[in-house]
Amino acid sequence: MNEIVFAGFGGQGVLTSGLIISSIAVSKGLNATWIPSYGSAMRGGTANCTVKFGKEMIYNPAQEEPNLLLAMNTPSFNKFIDIIAPGGTVVINTDMVSTEANTRDDITIVEVPCNSIANEMNHPKGANIVMSGVIIKLLNEFTEEEAIDGMNEMFNKKGKGKFQEMNTKAMKIGFDFVK
Amino acid sequence: MAKARKIPKIIEKPSSFCPGCGHGIAIRLIAECLEELGQDENIIFGIGVGCSSLLGGVLETDRLHCLHGRASAVCTGMKRVSPENIVISYQGDGDAYSIGLSETTNAAYRNENITVITVNNTNFGMTGGQMSSTTLQGQKTTTSPNGRDCSITGSPIKFPELVAQQFNVAYVARGSVTSPAKINKLKGYIKNALEAQINGEGYSVVEILSPCPTNWGMTPLQAFEKIDNEIVKEFPIGEFKKREGK
Amino acid sequence: MAEMIKGNHAISEAAIRYGARLYAGYPITPSTEIMEYLSWRMPEVGGTFVQAESELAGINMVIGGAACGVRSFTASSGPGISLKQEGITQLYDEELAAVIINVVRYGNGIGTLYTAQCDYLRETRGGGNGDYRAIVLCPESIQEAVELVGLAFDLADKYRTVAVLMTEGALGQMMEPCTLPDFIETKRAPWGFDGKYSYKKVGIFDRDSMKEAVLMNEKHNAIKANEQRWEDENLEDADYVFVAFGLPGRSTKGAVKKLQEEGNKVGFIRPITAWPFPEEAFKKINPNVKGLITVEANATGQLVEDVALTVKKVLRADIPVYSLPYVYGIPAMKTIKADYKKIVDGEIKEVF
Repeated sequence: MNEIVFAGFGGQGVLTSGLIISSIAVSKGLNATWIPSYGSAMRGGTANCTVKFGKEMIYNPAQEEPNLLLAMNTPSFNKFIDIIAPGGTVVINTDMVSTEANTRDDITIVEVPCNSIANEMNHPKGANIVMSGVIIKLLNEFTEEEAIDGMNEMFNKKGKGKFQEMNTKAMKIGFDFVK
Repeated sequence: MAKARKIPKIIEKPSSFCPGCGHGIAIRLIAECLEELGQDENIIFGIGVGCSSLLGGVLETDRLHCLHGRASAVCTGMKRVSPENIVISYQGDGDAYSIGLSETTNAAYRNENITVITVNNTNFGMTGGQMSSTTLQGQKTTTSPNGRDCSITGSPIKFPELVAQQFNVAYVARGSVTSPAKINKLKGYIKNALEAQINGEGYSVVEILSPCPTNWGMTPLQAFEKIDNEIVKEFPIGEFKKREGK
Repeated sequence: MAEMIKGNHAISEAAIRYGARLYAGYPITPSTEIMEYLSWRMPEVGGTFVQAESELAGINMVIGGAACGVRSFTASSGPGISLKQEGITQLYDEELAAVIINVVRYGNGIGTLYTAQCDYLRETRGGGNGDYRAIVLCPESIQEAVELVGLAFDLADKYRTVAVLMTEGALGQMMEPCTLPDFIETKRAPWGFDGKYSYKKVGIFDRDSMKEAVLMNEKHNAIKANEQRWEDENLEDADYVFVAFGLPGRSTKGAVKKLQEEGNKVGFIRPITAWPFPEEAFKKINPNVKGLITVEANATGQLVEDVALTVKKVLRADIPVYSLPYVYGIPAMKTIKADYKKIVDGEIKEVF
C-alpha cells in the first residue's frame, strides 16, 4: 500500500498530480483513493490531497503515515515533514522549497527544480506533471508507458486532452530526471 | 334579470369561515374561473397556513396543505414537474407576506408560471387577529393593542405593487369583495391570472382585500365599509401589471 | 472498468440513473458539488433543477415535486439540514416519498467544514417536530453510496417515507473507482397529484391522529422487520465487538483486521442502516463478549446509545459498552488500535 501526500499552494496543481497518480493506479486495476483537503481557502491558500493505492483493500482513505510527500512550497514541507513514515521519500520543488526546518534524518529528499524545468520546456503549467513523472519513477510500480497512457486517458475524459503532447513530454522529463 | 349561479363542481361542501369573511367568495370565484376555463379537472393547489387552510375543506381537488409561508416554493416544485397542470398558491397575508415573504417574492422573481392568490385581511386571522405586515397604521390588533405604530413596526407591505414595479412577471392585480360589481371585477382579475398561466406567460398574482369582522370586532357590514373607506386608500384596487402575452 | 469519481458527483449521477427528476437546493460546503453537477445534468435528462433561494425553499420545492409523484431529492449539510427539518417532517407526514442527502460536516451552530458523524442522533430520531422516523442509510465508500442512493429511492417509494443518505464530508469530496448503475425507467408514483383528484388525499383538518398513530407504528415496525442492513465479521467468537458506520466504520474494519492478525479476538458490526438500527446483527454476538466499542466522528458519543439499548434488548445482559468519539475526521487505524488497548487495560471506562 502506498500513501502519498501532494501539497502546495492552490494553483500549483497538486490535486491534479494526485489525481494523475491515482488514475494510473486504477487503470492498472489497483484500488485507489484520492482525498483532498477542502474548505474556505478556495484560492491562493495551501492545498493538499492524499492518495492511497495498492492491491489490498483501502480501509482508511485519510492521511495516516505517508511514505511519499510531494512538497511544492515551504509551508507544505514544514507541515507534513513530521508525519512521513521512517524511510520515506520527500520530493521537493527546489525552486520554491527551503528545507531549513527539517529535523528528519531517516527520510530521503529528492530535489527537483520543477518550475525551471517546466519553464525551459515552455510549459510553465506543467511543473506538477514533471513531478508526477518523478514520483512514478520513484514508486517503481508503473512503466513509463502505463503512466503516460493513464495520465492522457484521465485528461481526455475530463475534456482536457489538448495539452497531451506537452504533458507527455513533461512526464517523460520527470521520469528521466530520476537516475 | 338576476340569474342563479351554478355551484362549481369542485366545490365539495360549504365553507366553515366566519360570517362575513371574504375567503368563501374568493374560493367560489376561483372555482368558477377554473370551471369556465375548463381547468377544474386539471388543478393542483398549494394551500397556506391560516384561514386560507380552510380551502382544503371546501374544494375537492388535488391540494397540499403547505408549511407556513412555503406555498410558493411547493407550487414551484409542482409546476416544474407538471407544467401541464394549473397550479395555484392560495394564501393569506400573514402566510405569504410575513413568514413566507422570501418564498413568495422569489417565486415572482423567477417569474414562475404559477398563480398566487393572497387574501389580505390585514391581520393573522386564524390565530386570533395579530398584527401582520399589512396591518394599517393605527389599527388595533391583539399584538398592537394601542394601534399599529408604523414608526417601529414598518409600514403595510404592498406586494402587488412591489412585484409589478420590480420584477418581470405576467400579471398583477388587487381586487375586493365588498360589492357585486367589485366581485365581478375581481373574478376578471382571477381569470386573467389563470389565463396567463395557461398560456405560459409567467407569474401572476391577485391580492384580494377581504373583511375579517371577527377579528376587527365589527359587523360584516361595518367591515365592508372599513375596506371601502379606509383600506383601499392604503391598498388601491386595480391591475398593476396587465398581460402582454407570451 | 470502474473509474475514479468524486463522491458527490457519483451520488448525483446515481440519483439521475435511479430516476430522480427534481432537485432543488442551496449551496453549502461540503455538499455543493451535488447541485453543481445536477445544474447541467438534470436538464440533459429532462428533469427539473432549481437553485432555491434558501434551504427552506429547496425542501419545499422537493415537497412539490414529490407530491406529484416524481422522484425528488435535495442535499445539504450542517445548518442547511437543520433548516430543512420542517420540510422533512412534512414529507413524512403527508407520506410523500423523497430522498435527503446529508453530507455531514462537524459542529453545532454554523459549525465547521470538517467531515464528521455528529448528526447521528438527529437523523435517526426524526429531526423535525413530531415522532416520526426516517430511513437512514450510511455508506462507507463511493460505490456503496451509489448503491444506497438507489435503495433510498426504492425504500422511500415502498414505504412512502423519507430516506436519508447520511454520508460524510470526506466521502463527498474524495474520489475512488466506482461503477455506476444502468438507467432505470422513470415513472411517477401512482398516488401523485395529476390535477384530476385521482388520489384522494386527506386534508389536514380531517385528520384522525389516533388512527394515524397506529398506521405509523405499523409502518415503522415493517421497516424495522424488513430493512435492517449491516456488515459484520467474527461476532460469534469475539471478546470485543466494534460498532461503527461510514468512513470511521471502514477504518475500524481495517483496525479489526490488524488486531486479529495480532491475536486479538475482535469483531465488528458496520451498520448500513442507522435507522432501522441493525438489531439482528447483535443476535450473533458471543454471549460471553467482554464489551462493545463504538468508533464515532463526534464529540459526545451518539451511536453508543443505540448500541447500549440494543445490548439491553437483544443480549439481555449487563455488558460494558464503550465509546471512542474522535470528534471529526476519519480515525486512523493505529489510533483505534491504541485506544482498544486502553479499553482492554481499563484506562478507558465504559459509557453504559
